[in-house]
Amino acid sequence: MLAVAFLLVLFCISCAEKSDATRVIVYSPHGKELLGEYERLFETQYPGCDVQWLDMGSQDILDRLRSERANPQADVWFGAPNTMFSQAAKAGLLESFRPSWANSVPADAHGDADTWYGTYFTPEVIAFNSNAAQGDSVPRDWDDLLLPRWKGRVIIRDPVPSGGMRVIFGAILFLHLQQGDLEKGFDWLRRLDTNTKEYVANSTLLFQKMARGEADITLWNMPDMELQRNVYHYPFDYVFPSSGTPYLTEGIALVRGAKHAEWARRYYEFVTSTESLELAAQKYFRIPARTDIPLQRLPERIARARQQLRPMKLDWQVLERETPGWMRRWENEIKGSGK
Amino acid sequence: MSNRARFLIVCVVLVIALWLIFYPQLFIALESLRTSSGWGLAHYQEFFSERANIQATLNSLWISVWSVLLAAIIGTPLAFLFHRLEFPGRKTFSALAALPMLLPPLVGTIAIMFLYGESGIMTRSIQWLFGLSQPPFQFSGFFAILAVHAYTLYVYFFLFVTAGLERLDESQLEAARSLGASEFQVFRNVTLPLLTPALVGASLLTFLTSMASFSAPYLFGGGTRVLTVQIFNSKVNGDLALAYTQSLVLVAASLLVLIVLRHYETRRSYASLSKGAGTFRRRIKNRKLERIFGALSIAAVIFLLLPHLTILLVSFVEEGSWTTQILPPQYTVDNYRRLFGDPQFFQPIHNSVVMSLTATVANLLWGFVAAYLLSAKKPFWGRRILEAIILLPWAIPGTVLAIGLASTFSVHAPLRGQMVLVGTSWILPIAYFIRNAPLVVRALQSSFAQIEASIEEAAYSLGAGALYTMRRVLVPLVFPGMLAGCLMAFVLALGEFVASIVLYTVDNRPISVEILAQLRQFSFGTSAAYGVILILLIATAFLIARFASREATEISL
Repeated sequence: MLAVAFLLVLFCISCAEKSDATRVIVYSPHGKELLGEYERLFETQYPGCDVQWLDMGSQDILDRLRSERANPQADVWFGAPNTMFSQAAKAGLLESFRPSWANSVPADAHGDADTWYGTYFTPEVIAFNSNAAQGDSVPRDWDDLLLPRWKGRVIIRDPVPSGGMRVIFGAILFLHLQQGDLEKGFDWLRRLDTNTKEYVANSTLLFQKMARGEADITLWNMPDMELQRNVYHYPFDYVFPSSGTPYLTEGIALVRGAKHAEWARRYYEFVTSTESLELAAQKYFRIPARTDIPLQRLPERIARARQQLRPMKLDWQVLERETPGWMRRWENEIKGSGK
Repeated sequence: MSNRARFLIVCVVLVIALWLIFYPQLFIALESLRTSSGWGLAHYQEFFSERANIQATLNSLWISVWSVLLAAIIGTPLAFLFHRLEFPGRKTFSALAALPMLLPPLVGTIAIMFLYGESGIMTRSIQWLFGLSQPPFQFSGFFAILAVHAYTLYVYFFLFVTAGLERLDESQLEAARSLGASEFQVFRNVTLPLLTPALVGASLLTFLTSMASFSAPYLFGGGTRVLTVQIFNSKVNGDLALAYTQSLVLVAASLLVLIVLRHYETRRSYASLSKGAGTFRRRIKNRKLERIFGALSIAAVIFLLLPHLTILLVSFVEEGSWTTQILPPQYTVDNYRRLFGDPQFFQPIHNSVVMSLTATVANLLWGFVAAYLLSAKKPFWGRRILEAIILLPWAIPGTVLAIGLASTFSVHAPLRGQMVLVGTSWILPIAYFIRNAPLVVRALQSSFAQIEASIEEAAYSLGAGALYTMRRVLVPLVFPGMLAGCLMAFVLALGEFVASIVLYTVDNRPISVEILAQLRQFSFGTSAAYGVILILLIATAFLIARFASREATEISL
C-alpha cells in the first residue's frame, strides 16, 4: 500500500511536467530587467517561441551545468567572466557555435574552437558613497584603499563565490606575482582585510549597507554601480583606478546537449545583434564587446569610460589556473586576520 | 500482524530509506575517499592539517551546544506557562508563540538584519534614544549566530513539549500529589521523565539543525568560521573533494551526538497507560499575578512578532528611499503591484504548494509506518539500520544532500538503482521528503513511545484487525504528534531554500528561489512582499490544520 501510494505520488508530479519543443532556456546572471526586456523583444520577433531564463550567479551556473551534464536543462549560458567559460569549455560543457559576427570581436574575446564569444566588457571600479568621499578624499588607486582613513569603512562582497571579486583579488595577486613577489600580494590583501569592516553575502547587501551608511567604500563593477545610481538614486560614485583595472570579458555560449539547440542559436544571435547590444549599452550600461558598433551610437557615459579606464594587462590563463588555490589560501589565512 | 506481512513492510520501508536517503550519501562518502592515486585518506589529512577546518569544526559544535541550551531555556518554560496557567489571551498568545515557524530561514534572516543589523530599526532607535555616536552593538559573530538560532529553534522545544504535555495523563500527576509528593517532586519524578522523549527529540532537532545551519552563520558570522560555510566555500571554489570531506566530518560529528542522545532516551520507558486526558488549567486567582503574566506574555509575543512586522514594513518601502533614517520615510504598494502584474507570479506559489504537499503526504505515509516499526517493543531485523538512516538527513547540510541527489540521479543505470531525476519535477519533492523524513518520524515516534503496548494488544484481543486498530486506536493516540510533524514538514518544505536552489528547474521554481531572485535584482521591497505572501501561505496551513483537528493540540494556531 505504502509503495503504491508513493509511486502514485511520483506519477502525479510527473504528469505536471511539460515538454515543449518551442522554447529556449537561458541561464544568466544579467538580471531581471535586461533578461525580461530581451525576452519580450525575442518573443515579439518569434511569436512561436517561449523564452525562459533563470537568474543566478555565474559560479552557480557553472556548478549547475556540471551536475546537469547527463540531462542538460539549459540551452544558453549568457554571462560570466571569460575565465569561467574557459573552465567550462575544458570540462566539455559547451557546444561550439560560430556566430555571424565572429570576426568582429578582439582576438582574446572568444574561446578556442568557438566554444564561447564575448558579449560585454566589464571594468571593475572603486566605488564609494559620495556623501563619505568628496574632493581630495576620493580614492584614486588601489593603494588608497589601504589608507588609515578607510579603516573599518571598506565593505567587500564575499569574494569566493563572486566571479567579479575573484578576478579583482586574482589581478592584484597576479601583478605582484609578475613583479616576482606573490607574498607581497597576500600582504596587500591582508592590509585590505585590516581596513575591511565586513564581507557580505551578495551584492544587494553590499549596496544596501553602503547606501545606509554602514560602510563607505568597496570594489565592484561599473555597470552595477551605474544601475544603482540611475535606477535607485543611491548616492554612489566610482573611479577607475589610475594604475589600471581588470577589464574582463563577459561571454555567451551554447550548452552541450541542449534540448532546444536551434532556438538557442537564434537567441544567441538575437541578444548579440548590434540592436540588442546598443539597447544594453543605453539602458544597462553594458560596454559591447563587438568592435563593429560605432562609438557615437553608444551613450556618452560608456564612450567616456572607454577613454578613462586603463585595462590591466592580465594573463587570463594564469588567473584561471591559480585563482582557486589563491582564494583558498585567502579564505584560510587572510580573511578576518586583520582584526 | 503476521510475521510475513511485517517482514514485507520492513523491507519496503528499508528499501525506500536505503535508496533515497542512504544511497546518495554513499556517493559523497566514496568521493571523499577517492584520491588522484586510487583510494585513501589524503583528503582527510589535508582537512586536519588546516587550522581553519579544525576551528570551524569546534565552532560548529559549540554553537550547536549553546543553541540547544538557549532554545530549551526559552521554549520549555513557555510551553509550561501556556499549558498550565489560564490567563486572559492565553490561547492567542500560545498560538503566536509558534510564530518563528512561519518565518522561512531566508526571510527570517533578512528580517533580523533589518531589525538588529547595524543600520537596523532597533539598533538605530537605541542609538538615537541614548544619543550615541556609534551603533550600540554589532550584530555579528558567535553571539549573533546564537541569537538567530535561539530565536528560530526554540519553537522545537515549545512544540515538542506542548505536544508532550498534551499527551500527559493528569491523573498520574494527581496520583503523585495524593501520595504526598510536593509540586517539585511531581515535576522531577513524574512530569520530567514523561517529557524526556519530547525534550530529547527537541534537543536532537535543535542540535542537528544548528550544525547544518547555513544562512545565519553566512550572513551574520563575521569572522566566525563554521563547517557549513567552509563546505560552501570549498564547493564554490571548485574543491569538491574537500567539500565532501568537510561534509563527512560534519555528518560524523552530528551522528555521534545523535547516538549518545538516542542511547540516553532508550534507556528508560516512558509509556503511559491511557490517552492523554484533558488538562485542567489553573486559573490564576491573584489579580496582580494575572496581570503580570498577561503583560509578560504580551511583551514576549510582541518581541516574537517584530521580525514579521519588519518584513511587512519593508514590503511597502519604496526602493531606494530608506537610507539613514530609523524608519523608512516613503511607502508604496508598488512592490505588490509589480508582483501581481507579473503573469508568472502565481507559478512559484503553485509549484511550492504542490511540491510541499506531495512531499508531506509521502512523509506521512512512510513516516507513520517507519515510526510504528521503530517504536515496537520487540526488536526486528534491520531496526538499527533503519533508525540510523532515517535520522541521517538532519546531519547533512542541504547543499550536500542536493549534490548527492544530483550526482546519483543524473545517470540512467537501473541495475545500480540509478535513474535520471535531475532536471525533472520529481527531484525537489524527493529532496523535501528526505529532508523532512527525520522530523516526521521523530514526531510520530515520540508519540508512539508513550503508548503502552497493552493498549494495542487489547484491541487485537477484542478482535480488531490491524487496519482497524490503526484507524481507531493508534492514529487517534498519535494524532497530535502526527499533525505537529506533518505541519512542520509542510511548512519547512514551503520555505526550503538550500536544496531547492541547487535542484530547481524552469518548470518547478519554488517561492524561496523566487525570493532570492528578487533579492538578486536589488529589490528588497519586492522580495519582502514575496516573503509576506509566503508567511501568509504558511499561516493558512496552520489554520487549516487547526480546523482539521480542533481539539488535537494548541500548536496548530
